Amino acid sequence: MSDEMKHEPLDRRRFLKVVGVAGAGTAALTGCSTDKVEKLIPYLVQSADQVPGIPTIYASTCTECAAGCGLHVRTREARAIKLEGNPRHPVNAGTLCARGQASLQGLYNPDRLTGPMGRNGAGKMSEVLWNEAIDQLAAAIKQAGGKVAVVSGTPAGTMSDLIDQWTAAVGGRVIRYQAFDHGPVQLAAKKVFGVEELPHHDFAAAKYILSFGADFLETWHGPIENQRGFAAAHGFDGKGMAKFVYVGPRMSLTGMNADQWVAAAPGSETSLALGLANAVLAARSDAPADAAQLKAMLAAYTPDKVARDTGLPPDTVRKLCREFTKAAPSLAVAGGIGAQHRGAAELCAAVNILNYVAGNVGKTVHFGFGMSGGSGYGAMLDLERAMNAGEIDAVIFHDSNPLYTLPKSGGFQAALAKVRFKATTTMFWDETAAVCDLVLPSLHSLERWDDSRPRAGVHGLLQPVMEPVFKNIATGDVLLQVARKIGGTAAATFTAPTYEAHLKGVWAGVAKARGAGDFDTFWRGALANGGLYDAAPAPAIVRLAAGAGDIKADQPAFDGEGLIFAPYPSSMYHDGRGANRPWLLENPDPVTRITWQSWIEINPETAREMDIREGEILRLNSPTGSIEASVYVYPGIARDVLAMPLGLGHTEYGRYAQGRGVNALDLLSAKDGQGFLPYLSTRVKPEKTGRFRKVAKTEGNPRELGRGITEAIPLAAAVKGLTIQQAYQAAGKGEHEVNPELEAEAIKGFREGQLEERKYGAYALDNPQWGMVIDLARCTGCSACVTACYAENNIPWVGEEDIFRGRELSWIRIERYFEGGEDGEPIKARVIPMLCQQCDAAPCEPVCPVYAAYHTADGLNGQVYNRCVGTRYCANNCPYKVRYYNWYAYAKRAFVEPLNLQLNPDVTVRARGIMEKCTFCIQRIRGAQNTARLEDRPVADGDVVPACAQACASGAITFGNVKDPASRVVQAAKNPRGYHVLEELNTRPAVTYLARVEYGSEA
Amino acid sequence: MTAMLDHTPKMTHAEVTRDVVATLQTPSRGYYLALFGAIGLFLVGLGTFVMLLKEGLGLAGYNPPIFWSVYITTFVFWVGIGHAGTLISAILFLFRSPWRTAVYRSTEAMTVFAVMTAGLFPIIHIGRQWIFYWLLPYPNQRWLWPNFKSPLIWDVFAISTYLTVSTTFLIVGLVPDIAAVRDKMSGWRKKLYGALSIGWTGADSQWRHYTRGYVYLAALATPLVLSVHSVVSWDFAMSVIPGWHGTIFAPYFVAGAIYSGIGMVMTLVIPLRKVLKIEHLITEYHFDNLSKLTLLTGSILFYAYTMEYFVAWYSGNTFEQTTFWMRAFGPMWWGGWTMIICNGFVSQLLWFKKIRTNLTALFVISIFINIGMWFERFVIINSLGNDFLPYAWGRMNPTWADWGILAGSFGWFGMYFLLFARTFPVVAIQELKEIIPMPRRKRGAH
Repeated sequence: MSDEMKHEPLDRRRFLKVVGVAGAGTAALTGCSTDKVEKLIPYLVQSADQVPGIPTIYASTCTECAAGCGLHVRTREARAIKLEGNPRHPVNAGTLCARGQASLQGLYNPDRLTGPMGRNGAGKMSEVLWNEAIDQLAAAIKQAGGKVAVVSGTPAGTMSDLIDQWTAAVGGRVIRYQAFDHGPVQLAAKKVFGVEELPHHDFAAAKYILSFGADFLETWHGPIENQRGFAAAHGFDGKGMAKFVYVGPRMSLTGMNADQWVAAAPGSETSLALGLANAVLAARSDAPADAAQLKAMLAAYTPDKVARDTGLPPDTVRKLCREFTKAAPSLAVAGGIGAQHRGAAELCAAVNILNYVAGNVGKTVHFGFGMSGGSGYGAMLDLERAMNAGEIDAVIFHDSNPLYTLPKSGGFQAALAKVRFKATTTMFWDETAAVCDLVLPSLHSLERWDDSRPRAGVHGLLQPVMEPVFKNIATGDVLLQVARKIGGTAAATFTAPTYEAHLKGVWAGVAKARGAGDFDTFWRGALANGGLYDAAPAPAIVRLAAGAGDIKADQPAFDGEGLIFAPYPSSMYHDGRGANRPWLLENPDPVTRITWQSWIEINPETAREMDIREGEILRLNSPTGSIEASVYVYPGIARDVLAMPLGLGHTEYGRYAQGRGVNALDLLSAKDGQGFLPYLSTRVKPEKTGRFRKVAKTEGNPRELGRGITEAIPLAAAVKGLTIQQAYQAAGKGEHEVNPELEAEAIKGFREGQLEERKYGAYALDNPQWGMVIDLARCTGCSACVTACYAENNIPWVGEEDIFRGRELSWIRIERYFEGGEDGEPIKARVIPMLCQQCDAAPCEPVCPVYAAYHTADGLNGQVYNRCVGTRYCANNCPYKVRYYNWYAYAKRAFVEPLNLQLNPDVTVRARGIMEKCTFCIQRIRGAQNTARLEDRPVADGDVVPACAQACASGAITFGNVKDPASRVVQAAKNPRGYHVLEELNTRPAVTYLARVEYGSEA
Repeated sequence: MTAMLDHTPKMTHAEVTRDVVATLQTPSRGYYLALFGAIGLFLVGLGTFVMLLKEGLGLAGYNPPIFWSVYITTFVFWVGIGHAGTLISAILFLFRSPWRTAVYRSTEAMTVFAVMTAGLFPIIHIGRQWIFYWLLPYPNQRWLWPNFKSPLIWDVFAISTYLTVSTTFLIVGLVPDIAAVRDKMSGWRKKLYGALSIGWTGADSQWRHYTRGYVYLAALATPLVLSVHSVVSWDFAMSVIPGWHGTIFAPYFVAGAIYSGIGMVMTLVIPLRKVLKIEHLITEYHFDNLSKLTLLTGSILFYAYTMEYFVAWYSGNTFEQTTFWMRAFGPMWWGGWTMIICNGFVSQLLWFKKIRTNLTALFVISIFINIGMWFERFVIINSLGNDFLPYAWGRMNPTWADWGILAGSFGWFGMYFLLFARTFPVVAIQELKEIIPMPRRKRGAH
């Protein structure tokens, strides 16, 4: 960050301004208009809808990616404290990913720009007043006289339309660009089906899922919706489940969830897709009639040719062909960064053909949803050419940071320097802001009005849920004001005085089109709902376009020499925008379990050949650059591939991101891949530096050593309803490590003694007994629950140095264990969320000398923070290691102003020197009990939802009262797949895990 | 036995008094060097503690799942040191072992100071040191009591009882000797020792009460030798952690405590007798006997180590097996082998009489014992590093804050011990006189 920027201190007056604003004139739990937000209402005169201690929830829409998930913003005393999914929203149905939840740390980020900045006479950036900034912008646009370019990363919606109209009015061009846009997918849709839109995938309906490098569970479009669908298809329902095969150079989070990982040579996937299409077309008769024209082209792709092209064993290819042919409907997806080589458009086209011949189009692949991938990378290169040619006089960047997301080897920055006037609207001092002449701080999506149209049938609304943390002007209003200043066509185009009015005008049109009577009622209803949700549109019927079969499966070219370099979007930082949010930096990468760092993944065999160990710093040299990072030896990566996450290595972007890690894009060529940026097109030469830097991972040992922590049973056994023990015996593996019968016999006496204690005191009363069921067949390891827990429970981050010492305070963590990977066994990963098991016979409780750890009457392992003196005996004695200690005053460091405004007032902020832990969100339990008592009714099943369960898009977590035989948690726990971790210790955990279901050799 | 060394000093009673009182005269330069060295170390520890109070325990090398580390290691180390004193002064007194007389005073002082040192650690190591008293059962209006189920509370009682009894025992035993010193002093020193001797005149009635009382105190202290370290061992054994949860722990810890205590006695007394010029009072005979005790307890330890490994293998319990595999071959293998070599193997050298009577060799061995016994506790605590869930495994990595407190504990202990050795007779005058054959009664001496 430049030293020109000043951080506005948050004094008492300012604090009151932020927290004391009570959105006027609205009631209701959900949704409300805050027409008069500019009015401050002192808390002495309390507004009717604000009850201190009672959260107010506003519906809104997430803007962290283009998926447009619906939000419920939980506010307390007029500040947003937590983001949750809107249960009515068709995209996310009440769940939310880690990045969406961390949006709050964007809102309260201490590095947010506090006011506009412009170049002064000396050419230095300094703060300017808003009216000056708007005058400057208007003058510059006027002067540019039509030679204007607007680069916008805003997804479809009224704002996006406004930008189009505005740019048209001032004369200029709009480039809609986001990193990782879906260029190849869009190109392939046009080529094969002649439509200019992105397909929508229905994972839930698929019986067989095949992904060619598309990381649909983490960063590919709509990860939450995909995850929900995937959990429906692949979560075992007692009868069966879809099979999922992942083809890619690296086992990503999505790949970890696959039943089979196929490491086809990068670039050869097209051949495999065509080979499968060939097999389907040959074996099945239900292909659409016009598919016959493809027969000749496909016939060349025999399993043997495919095996030759991909480097896979012919048997593997044949088996894939057999399985894919048999399943209907199936679903093949492609277009992720994991296979975005120069032939990615061909690959996506091949996958389209595969879906078409398998009859999936219209069943699992839908067109007609109006989803667009933007202008594409080619448009950016066009802009670069235009800037170089002097055709552009003014550029405005909106929601876009191309100086970070484009490879530096390209000429974009140099071309931009030739533009006379550059402005950006951003919340942070980012790389693009650093080269601009005018920086206009935008409002966070929770502070402004807007809407979102991620796809047909979904009209999400955004509303300000609180007074802006820093007094800035929404970009929509800036554009309107500038238009008025410019006058002429621009002023005539827009009649609305404010963006809010403009938006309402647009929605008035919607209301009219729908025949809604009173607009106010319609508007309030839509706001309360978070938008309008229509039934999914009928899928458009698409047919093969001319030239659809003109696909070459040639091996694409790679720049440079050495090992193939596979950068991939980090599931936490995405395109780099998450890198300034400590929640995301501290939430371990779901695959490698690394935090706060960049790393290089390398296959163990390759590492052995090169004599490289974990933590060794490697320099990667490509034709366009070189970077250094520590090595992480990863068994889930092909031998000739090195992989690195994207999203770190910022040179600007605030205190948390700046200078952290390296940017893998520095190694890439910026050359066009015909309409998209080919991420997977570089070879790098690794070079040893001899230096070491510890990898900041939260994992001790990646193998579970046969301890039965993450259990799995074969699909066949699961279908028969066998227990884990029976499945072991059925598989001829002999006794399971722990024999439940012997075990029960051994601890019978103890158990009776323990139950005896139940007869006394509060334990004898008719209290509920809280329990949880976690279905490992559904859990993907996405780690949304982790961020939910941080947000709900005021968990401070500890930072890289303390992660080195394993001191993270993650009350719920995802443990990832590898299976196989040796002696020719395929490598597999299993994940298990580990949180306090709330043991009935808890080892932590009796050892506490001061009764800080005690058993609550409703069966929780309570922790009295005020009583804890910090002997840490409880943590030593916890077999699950789910107690966390405040070695320093972490909270002081983590919740710097204004991040502290996010703190949940219902949960203590823990001091130094005490132990903290999960108690199933006891504040939510007590809240639900209080509400029930006020309403004079018992607590109903589902009244209490812990933050982790609420966030889980897979629906893997069920919570409830185990004393209520009708509760969902009791029903779920009856599953024969149920087991307790470390049952033999007789801790009697309240968390029941359901074993993962795995495809064996049978399928 | 002809080979047995003669334990009776060839001295008169007057010479004993003279030589012992001589140790209290103006000390040598070496003494001052040692004393200031100890005070320096103590200040290092004090500074570290201030930093811990200011910043938090994060300064030390804790690495979850290792929530206890060097501080608890050192705590148990010092508690263990404290056990030789009471064994020698109380148990051997009851068994009427005459060889204890020359060394028991210094070992008893060592005991008191070691327990004083150990007692600091529970305070240093907790997270909120300023409310350490919540561990004590004191009446309060909140009606809150400590949890009597917690082994840590047992610890509080065990340590405080032990400190009380061993201090009383030391002071009571000192009274006749202080009186003897008083009689040799003049000026303000005479007044000081006169006050400390609480009116001891050497009357028959006083001797009668004194010897009675001493026997009772010895009888009271004796069970503590066994109980205190048993209780300390239960801090570990009562938990569920593999490598901690063993029934062998109480006897194993008691043997280890005595072993380490005698090691420390040797480390202290071998140079001390030189510095204070009392080689003729504490002779090779005494060290030979101490060595035999070391050999016995060292062998028990060796057996316990072997048993731990055997039981881990024989139990078939995968957690135990992993723990012991890691102890021997894991990343902290050096700790595991230091403990076995220093305690198990080195102690076996004491089968040889030549070594038992060679003070240089014994001094070297005693250093090995000190190191080995510190490592024993370090290794046991390191079992935390690889318990049930492999994902959560971690490794201890001590920092300056760990070593600062460790150094400070030696400084604190050394400071007291050195001051004691200058102020009070480190050899029990009256008991030594008892074993010297009665001279013919002369006037003016008894």
